[in-house]
Amino acid sequence: MTDATTAGVASSGVSTTAGPTGPTGSIYDIGYRRYEGPRLGRAHAIRSLFFHSLRSTFGIGRGGRAKIAPIILVGLALLPAIAIVGALTMAAQFGVGSRFANNAPIRYDTYFSSISTIVVLFCAAQAPELFGRDQRYGVLALYFARALRRSDYALARIAGFVAALLLIELAPQVLLFLGRVLLSPDILGAVGDDLPSVGPVLAQAILSAALLGGLSMAVAAFTPRRAYATAGIIALFTIPNIVAGTVLGLGSSVIGTWLLLLSPTSVLDGTNSILFGTPLGSDFFFIDLPNVAYVAAALAGVVGSIAITVRRFSRIAT
Amino acid sequence: MALISLRNLTKRYGGAITALDGLTVDIDPGIVGLVGSNGAGKSTLLKILLGLVEPTSGDATVLDLDVRTRGTDIRQFVGYMPEHDCLPPDASATDIVSHLALISGLPRTAARERTAEVLRHVGLYEERYRAIGGYSTGMKQRVKLAQALVHDPRLLLLDEPTNGLDPAGRDEMLELVRRTGTEFGMAVIVASHLLGEIEAVCTYLVAIEGGRLLRSAPLGDFIEQTGTLAVEVDEGSTALAERLTADGLAVVVDGRAVLVAISDGRPYDLVRDAVAELGLPLVRIEQRRHRLEDLFRDVPPTEIAAARAPTGEVAPGPPVSAAPTAPGDDR
Repeated sequence: MTDATTAGVASSGVSTTAGPTGPTGSIYDIGYRRYEGPRLGRAHAIRSLFFHSLRSTFGIGRGGRAKIAPIILVGLALLPAIAIVGALTMAAQFGVGSRFANNAPIRYDTYFSSISTIVVLFCAAQAPELFGRDQRYGVLALYFARALRRSDYALARIAGFVAALLLIELAPQVLLFLGRVLLSPDILGAVGDDLPSVGPVLAQAILSAALLGGLSMAVAAFTPRRAYATAGIIALFTIPNIVAGTVLGLGSSVIGTWLLLLSPTSVLDGTNSILFGTPLGSDFFFIDLPNVAYVAAALAGVVGSIAITVRRFSRIAT
Repeated sequence: MALISLRNLTKRYGGAITALDGLTVDIDPGIVGLVGSNGAGKSTLLKILLGLVEPTSGDATVLDLDVRTRGTDIRQFVGYMPEHDCLPPDASATDIVSHLALISGLPRTAARERTAEVLRHVGLYEERYRAIGGYSTGMKQRVKLAQALVHDPRLLLLDEPTNGLDPAGRDEMLELVRRTGTEFGMAVIVASHLLGEIEAVCTYLVAIEGGRLLRSAPLGDFIEQTGTLAVEVDEGSTALAERLTADGLAVVVDGRAVLVAISDGRPYDLVRDAVAELGLPLVRIEQRRHRLEDLFRDVPPTEIAAARAPTGEVAPGPPVSAAPTAPGDDR
């Protein structure tokens, strides 16, 4: 056993100029106690990382600058709903509320595509915050040394980000619903009218959040550099559209339309029209693809992107 | 029951690089120094103990748990301080340590309390609310130690804890490590290539080189070992070596010096007579203190073999010729 006093003196190692041999560590004397409480293990670790990811996506628990982009983008995503509820209020005062509500351009079924660009920008801005930081600063080593597996880490981070997107997709819809119902002269009747839309809204929101979130996180997982990840995410969401558009422009409408299945936003337009039973509004869709094609493309994107991300973190060196 | 038990542990990367080669050793609680030059396999060993790197062959248990199958269970009771930077600069020490406490399985209230306690223990006070980006290297190292301690592990693995610190900061960090190990009774493994540090804080030493066990023994055994007599002559070192060999001594020529093993008997008279009879220009005779550094010098293989023999805990295989410390990739 190394005796406390000799160790204190010898702690200078090679140096023999022993200064005052006073206890250098005495100021740390207070406070270390053993922890006898519960250790909640892996599930608790995953849950904690999930909520941390959800909060971090909105810049909560981080500095003021980290909140700027999420606040602006969330505000923009809410703006159409706020505008339409405001207009509904005016219309109700003029006694044309129900007529306006039924003919307004912004409805449950059109909301997703109207804010899809904002959601894509949100992905490009915030997904690198989660995976990029951990890689850039070596924090992964600290996570992996704890009571979770590498795949747990990846899945908890993805789930947190997808949950954040889900909030962004659903919050305006809730606002829209409240506005339509509360401003209606017949509240119960309005609830009855809008209730059938709840299922499609939820399904489309989940699909959209999972696909856009999963793909964004898969790109972000591959680089510690924020700028590269942001550029990569934007490229992933725009280049397939451009390619499909070019092929369509060259006159190959069949191939071009099938190519649209490589574009996440177009796939989501497809699932939106299936869920709400509305025709596809875009000029792009020259032919009708089978419904199953859109659904299969969306699911393949979700599963594939998550698998790629998990695989990436199972191999990454720390 | 050993805290850590390694049996023929081997790790190869891609079939070509051998990081660990048939390591067999039992490690008991205490402050254990894991010493070796860069690339000796220290970091690889720590990662295997954490269940983060799968051994190529052989077995390893930590707290009686198999590293291959019980990694998450092991990590719940082990704290790890990595060698490299691992802290996000925009978070405060309180933020990151309490977050990591949650990930270690502590409930929220306990995580907050333990964070405050452990940051105080490592000597961070008001500054713990500031962003880590503005911290000195010494403060960052303390935060790294704090996050390894926050869940009150049974075993603490420290990889080069004094990396990048100035002498004063180094002494403070070592004092912290020593206090943590002795006063709080936590088992600590300190990996380091700086042997002076190991001497200062450890009670037991495991020396590895080229992925092989060089020696495993209480610290005292390393230092008290009688060593080598260096006989330096201006010329004629070869002749002297031949003469001394003829007298039955184990010698090695090292440039102008002849190194004589003095583990058995006292060869001083023989050396004196040999030098006088050969009429060599003697510069000095000195007994080299067998300090830890000698383990990694180009010392005579016979001496290494002599040093290894009494421990009885040597790895199977041919005697290690203590190679000069070659810089290498510290995997």
